Amino acid sequence: MSVSESNGEPMMHVSERDVASLHALALVAERRIRRNRALQVGTSALAIALCVDAFTLLLRKVAVLSEGTTRAVLAASAISVIAAMLVAYFRRLSPFAGAVVLDKHHGLADRITSALSFSRMSSAERTPFMEAAIEDALGVAQAVDPKKAVPFTRPRDLPIAGGFALALVLIGLFEVRKHEPVLTAKTIEPVDVTADDLDAMRDFLKEMAQKQETEEAKAATQEFNQLIEDLAAKRLDRTEAFRRMQALEQRLLEGREGDAKAIEQALAKMGEELKKAELTKKAGEALENKNLAMADKEFKDLAKKLREQGKNVDKGQLEKMREALKKAADNQKNRSESLAKQRESLQKDLLKQRQKMSDAGAQDEEKDLLKKKERELERLDRETEQEEAARRQLERLDRELEKAAEDLMKDLGMSANDLDRAAEDVNRMARQQMSQEEKEQLRQKLQELREMLRQQGQGGQGQMSRLRKFQQRARGQSGGGSKSEQGEGEDGESGENGEGKEGQNGKEGQSGQNGQGKGQGQGKGQGKGQGQGQGGETWVLGPNGEKILMLSRGQSQSGGQGGGQGKEPGKGVGTGHDDHITGAKTNPKGGTVDSQIAGQETGQGSSRSEVIQGAAEKGFASRGYQNVFREYHTVAEEALNRDEVPGGYRSYVRRYFQLIRPREDVTAGAPPPAPKD
Amino acid sequence: MSEMSADAVRSEVDAFRSSIDALRKEIAISVVGNTEVVDGVISCMLAGGHALLEGVPGLGKTMLVRTLAETLSLTFSRIQFTPDLMPADILGTTVIDDSGSGGKHFEFRKGPIFANIVLADEINRATPKTQSALLEAMQEHRVSVGRNTYVLEEPFVVLATQNPLEMEGTYPLPEAQLDRFFFKLHVPFPNRNELHSILDLTTGAANSVRKQVLDRERILAMQKLVRQVPVARHVQDFAIRVVQATHADGPDAPEIAKRFVRFGASPRGAQAVLLAAKIRALFEGRFAASVDDVRVVALPALRHRVLLNFEGEAEGVKTDQVISEILKATPETKAGVSGEAQVGLS
Repeated sequence: MSVSESNGEPMMHVSERDVASLHALALVAERRIRRNRALQVGTSALAIALCVDAFTLLLRKVAVLSEGTTRAVLAASAISVIAAMLVAYFRRLSPFAGAVVLDKHHGLADRITSALSFSRMSSAERTPFMEAAIEDALGVAQAVDPKKAVPFTRPRDLPIAGGFALALVLIGLFEVRKHEPVLTAKTIEPVDVTADDLDAMRDFLKEMAQKQETEEAKAATQEFNQLIEDLAAKRLDRTEAFRRMQALEQRLLEGREGDAKAIEQALAKMGEELKKAELTKKAGEALENKNLAMADKEFKDLAKKLREQGKNVDKGQLEKMREALKKAADNQKNRSESLAKQRESLQKDLLKQRQKMSDAGAQDEEKDLLKKKERELERLDRETEQEEAARRQLERLDRELEKAAEDLMKDLGMSANDLDRAAEDVNRMARQQMSQEEKEQLRQKLQELREMLRQQGQGGQGQMSRLRKFQQRARGQSGGGSKSEQGEGEDGESGENGEGKEGQNGKEGQSGQNGQGKGQGQGKGQGKGQGQGQGGETWVLGPNGEKILMLSRGQSQSGGQGGGQGKEPGKGVGTGHDDHITGAKTNPKGGTVDSQIAGQETGQGSSRSEVIQGAAEKGFASRGYQNVFREYHTVAEEALNRDEVPGGYRSYVRRYFQLIRPREDVTAGAPPPAPKD
Repeated sequence: MSEMSADAVRSEVDAFRSSIDALRKEIAISVVGNTEVVDGVISCMLAGGHALLEGVPGLGKTMLVRTLAETLSLTFSRIQFTPDLMPADILGTTVIDDSGSGGKHFEFRKGPIFANIVLADEINRATPKTQSALLEAMQEHRVSVGRNTYVLEEPFVVLATQNPLEMEGTYPLPEAQLDRFFFKLHVPFPNRNELHSILDLTTGAANSVRKQVLDRERILAMQKLVRQVPVARHVQDFAIRVVQATHADGPDAPEIAKRFVRFGASPRGAQAVLLAAKIRALFEGRFAASVDDVRVVALPALRHRVLLNFEGEAEGVKTDQVISEILKATPETKAGVSGEAQVGLS
């Protein structure tokens, strides 16, 4: 403090150094305030930055963000924290903030703040009161402690920041997810074909393979067989299966140059002409009867005859033969020309009709007529195509016959050679026709298979399930004992050592909801059991959802013959379970001697209806059923061939017969069902 | 005063404080408790202002004023305000007087207003006309009657009382007159101990006589000293911001002020706050007023200067509530004050 004179009185002025100490105190407090504020703001910013970092890192770990972007975000967040702290530290404080805090903490009633405020004035301007106030402040400043006034305060967001930091560390521990496509084995959804259907196909192909002669047909059959085996091994999905079928059908169609019927008709016409001459009569008849093998033989015989007896042959007959051969050769040509003329005429009519209609408008009748003519034209086109194909097939034969006719009058030897060649042609055509027939059969079967797969695809799992159940029953199996098909019965058991016990068979049979069996056993030393139940009817859903009546009577009969030497009838009760409805099991330990008796067909077997009923009960495996089926199937096939049946219906009929076809007799040895009284 | 040294100031302040303590002590002989009211009344006197004491009857308002007048060697008059009281009854009147020579002349007879301490008892019972008679005297410290103006002797302090309960037959003071009062002091009901003391004092035989502690000159000197107390800029700024916040459209007005205040405090209110803060600093022996002083004196200095709107009245909001909220909401220091480095010299 300095001393000056004022009105004769000494005045003590407060020195700047003294005031500086007050300033220093306030400054320390102010710095501490800034530090606390920077920490508070920095911690809050850190919490936010860590939150952002954690989220960013998480995105990085799941490979949403790139490494570069992640680094950029992390760096930006770190910079933002530092920036926030710097801004918080250097941001302007309220005036005398440090002093105010000191005053407040120490209860100085603004002494320091006021003193600092007064100290900013020059000494001359200060009043004695101000000087006194500053001195007063200096007096109390000794006890002032900025550390106590502005203590370090723990940032309130520190726990949050800590939590986010922990989360960040935890997230950092995870590995970055890499998008590596997992190599998965390609699986297909195989086409589901029942074993029964596959068996049917196999049987057909086996049969075809046995009777095939041409290599082409054999190759096609082999390919078909492979397709079936692939389907059985579930190696084909729907698309692939249909593609293979399409390819196979295409192949089967490739060799089919002409329509078989057109060729047959052409040969028949040819035969008709040849029949007119005595020498070629037999060959003509053979052709007319579509017996190409015979025709081949006849032509060869004729050639031989001409060679051997050339000069002895009657000239008149030779002339007739020549004319017949020439007409036969020209016949096909004439027919083609006739068809072409017809077509040309019809086409002209059609053009006229169209022109007329466009000029004057069309009546309904005229429209119908036009449509009719158009359809006729289409038919003629088809026929022409067929004729053309047939003509190509028969061209060589025509030529040979024509040449034979020409040579006949010049040199019989040459004519005979021509006839030999004609015979070869016929033979070739015969073989080809046979191959065509086989291929046609294969193609037809292929179409059936395709239609079957198509329908099964539409029907879904439900249909497949019903189909399997049906086929199981068709094979004479119980079908796994579903609720509606349970049966119960016991085999009769023959008594040991010849002592037959009372066999009891079919103690209580139950089949289906309506079927109720009642067992009745009788043992007569032969272990013969018989169960009988009241007739029950079961409606089984067919593969296509149609209802098929399956009769079940809860009846079983054990056919085992004990044949023992016991004299007394068995009195015991048969034990054991009849796994099969037919109850064929017989205890082999019965000490019996097997004896075989060959049955003789007397024509007095079961009636047709009984056989069908038996098949419905036990499956389509009995011999009687095979006969009945063959009979019915033949009739159906004849009807299909004879009548105009739409393709869709045809396939349904064939499918039906395929489903009810006789199966292998799984209960071989079982006697036919007892005729119903 | 500028010639005084800091030591002289210190001694003056000490003397001031001693005088006040003596005065408080003397008043406390008759007036039990009510220290804030006593300090308020003393503050008014030292500031040259007037006080409006509000409280239910029987709380010792009149006793306080009478005691104050007795402890100070000042002239005291009491006016009981009634509805039929006329201005002339307060100010005085001109009468025809016989002169010694046989002539008659007009003579002004001074009314009770011509005293250093005037007790306007139950001021709200007089008509507004009569109440208005006090306006000039309170503000200008002079009285104009007819063509003559009479200056009132300093110190001049009007201490008015009013009963807040009996509103029938009363005339609430107009805002203009209310603003003339330096402080509005609420006289609280005494607590149990204070009541014991009151009963002991008033129901016994002893009838003590108060001695005069301060004379007129001393009081005037003290009034001068009060005016020399410096106020730091931040304290003055705080007082200003508080007063501004009492206005609904003030920059720092809190929500309660925005919602319920019709009119805020006038600059006269700010003057009163700052002056009262200075007096309080001296009461505590400090050489400068502080923010805390402002906080303490803000209520008595502003509560009658803040007028509530209808909604505030309907909601039963008190002005004390509003001012308390304002004091809470107003920060002690705020950046951006012009002349920050300067010091309030008011």
